[in-house]
Amino acid sequence: PKGELEQVGETGESGEYNVYSTFQSHEPDFDYLKSLEIEEKINKIRWLSQQNAAHFLLSTNDKTIKLWKVSERDKQPEGYNLKDEEGRMKDISTVTSLQVPVLRPTDLMVEVRPRRVFSNGHTYHVNSISVNSDGETYLSADDLRINMWHLGITDRSFNIVDIKPANMEELTEVITAAEFHPHHCHLFVYSSSKGTLRLCDMRASALCDKHTKLFEEPEDPGSRSFFSEIVSSVSDVKFSHNGRYLLTRDYLTAKVWDLHMEKGPVETYQVHDYLRTKLCSLYENDCIFDKFECVWNSSDSVIMTGAYNSFFRMFDRETGRGVTLEAWRETSKPRAVLRTRRIYTGGKRRRGDVGVDSLDFTKKILHMAWHPEENIIAIASTNNLYIFQDRVSPDTHGPDLGSNTI
Amino acid sequence: MEYKVEAHRIMSISLGKIYNSRVQRGGIKLHKNLLVSLVLRSARQVYLRDYYGGICLSAQQAREWCEGEYMDSEQDRLVPGSTESLPESDGQSEVAVDKQEPSIVVESHAALDVESEARGEQDHAENGVLDSGCSELKTPESPEASPTCEVSNVVTTISSNCISGPPPSNPKQATETPNDCQTDSESVEENSHEPIVPHTCTNRKRSADDSELTDSLPKRTKVMSPTLISKNDEKKAETEEMDTSNVSSLITIFGSSFSGLLSSEDGAQPDSEAEDSDSGQICCDQMLKNLNPWSTAIVAF
Repeated sequence: PKGELEQVGETGESGEYNVYSTFQSHEPDFDYLKSLEIEEKINKIRWLSQQNAAHFLLSTNDKTIKLWKVSERDKQPEGYNLKDEEGRMKDISTVTSLQVPVLRPTDLMVEVRPRRVFSNGHTYHVNSISVNSDGETYLSADDLRINMWHLGITDRSFNIVDIKPANMEELTEVITAAEFHPHHCHLFVYSSSKGTLRLCDMRASALCDKHTKLFEEPEDPGSRSFFSEIVSSVSDVKFSHNGRYLLTRDYLTAKVWDLHMEKGPVETYQVHDYLRTKLCSLYENDCIFDKFECVWNSSDSVIMTGAYNSFFRMFDRETGRGVTLEAWRETSKPRAVLRTRRIYTGGKRRRGDVGVDSLDFTKKILHMAWHPEENIIAIASTNNLYIFQDRVSPDTHGPDLGSNTI
Repeated sequence: MEYKVEAHRIMSISLGKIYNSRVQRGGIKLHKNLLVSLVLRSARQVYLRDYYGGICLSAQQAREWCEGEYMDSEQDRLVPGSTESLPESDGQSEVAVDKQEPSIVVESHAALDVESEARGEQDHAENGVLDSGCSELKTPESPEASPTCEVSNVVTTISSNCISGPPPSNPKQATETPNDCQTDSESVEENSHEPIVPHTCTNRKRSADDSELTDSLPKRTKVMSPTLISKNDEKKAETEEMDTSNVSSLITIFGSSFSGLLSSEDGAQPDSEAEDSDSGQICCDQMLKNLNPWSTAIVAF
């Protein structure tokens, strides 16, 4: 979440990861009309499906989305007739024979070039981007609107959702995340600050303000507090790979929803319920506004999300059990096996248990990714990227993971 | 009682966040401000409920508070937002936001002041005007007071003031800084035995967005002010009226370029920003209650 994007490189035999490429995606900008500074901070990155040797990705800050092409070059033509090694023009009189330039292998060079810049599409802060399964379009969502773009066209976008009230005084909720369905290019979902999900079908109308389905869980009146609204705001929404479920994250829980059942989630996982009594302090220090992401594994049998103190949580959907793991340099040597951690919330205290009051709230795991096919996960914490992979069986899931730190 | 303290603390924290959001890099975040305003509203409801010893807020009132004055000052210039509050202000005599029970007339300045303190802005003209009406209260003078400090000052002064009898209501003062105060409506009868001061010095401020919108709105407010004043005169010690706090100072805090928002009887119209900065004019605890949480958040937009 700085202006830079880092890409993780290939592993060698030892399974070590190295930085592949680093580039500055966005620069700080200034909106002169509103006298507002636009941060260069990247809010979201999404890869496109690979079509050829190059990789494409979309990155966005608060206002502008950019399409980047990442390509490798490991060969270089040599032996030009008119230019010398440094590219300077040769004196023709010195050329006595002709040669055919040949491609010679060189050190790997990674080139990252901006291919498109999609600007001026959003009045509010962009929080999500999602590439459509058609490979041609993508959506971008800000607090009040969702736009659909064509990857090749930068001067136009379609507005597909607009929840801005005519009278801003009547505003009660904002859009917090949005994603296209993995298979159906006409379906997308967006989440709101009220904890609701709306599934929209673009075939129904040009402007999808009316949802096709509304997913909402009635509030539990017993748990009402000053901060009920904040903790129910959805910070991330992800379709399962099979397209049948939705995974959402709010401040304290992760929920799995069945697309066919709107009245409530089918599974609810407590990520760090011990924080429920600490909401006032977390409100004071702004931690309650942290936006955690959540991810599915490749087979949709495990979900994962981050927490504080460099902890992250994995939940096995079949058993319903959760495990706490730690992404922390001190305890993770390369190829070390991750061990599970526990938060002490009462009862018998075991060695290694961490007390709630000793949690470090500055070490938060907000961003993470699970390899689309294998059991390799990437966890981002403050200044480090951790990559864990399942050594025992790359195709199964489980907490027995080896680690790599970058 | 603990709830009240807690609610009060949360309110002041929320105000501080809203203030800080104005100066943070990248502009004001709509989502976060919306959430903070919701917390502010919840805390205020609890605070008021507690304060009035369990007298319930009518749902209507609660709803009207929440009907919120979100203003997108950057995107949409002014929305004729506080149309709700204006009509409410119109019927001052019957008022009560929902035209039901009479409510305690409250000055909205406390809330405004808290906010203005939070912002650290000052407007001396405002100060002068408001001082006259809220003479019993000591108000902190330093505009740099932190929101928390300000709030605690408010609380102290308010408590002392509330014990005393009805404050001298100053119609002039009420008009000079017209502010639509909105409070819970409480029935006078119910509270008559309690040492609750029916403050009748109502201040009416037009919402920043209103004023900015058109001239007709300002005129409207002006017209209402005299009505309000006269009614206030009538109902001084006995009447509890509910003022609508259209857009509390929070809105004006954020609505940066509104000027001449306040319509007053004598034509004194300090800047909307000015009215916020009126530090020191905290008249009573109830002003805090008049905070319209909605106004806070969306202001910047």
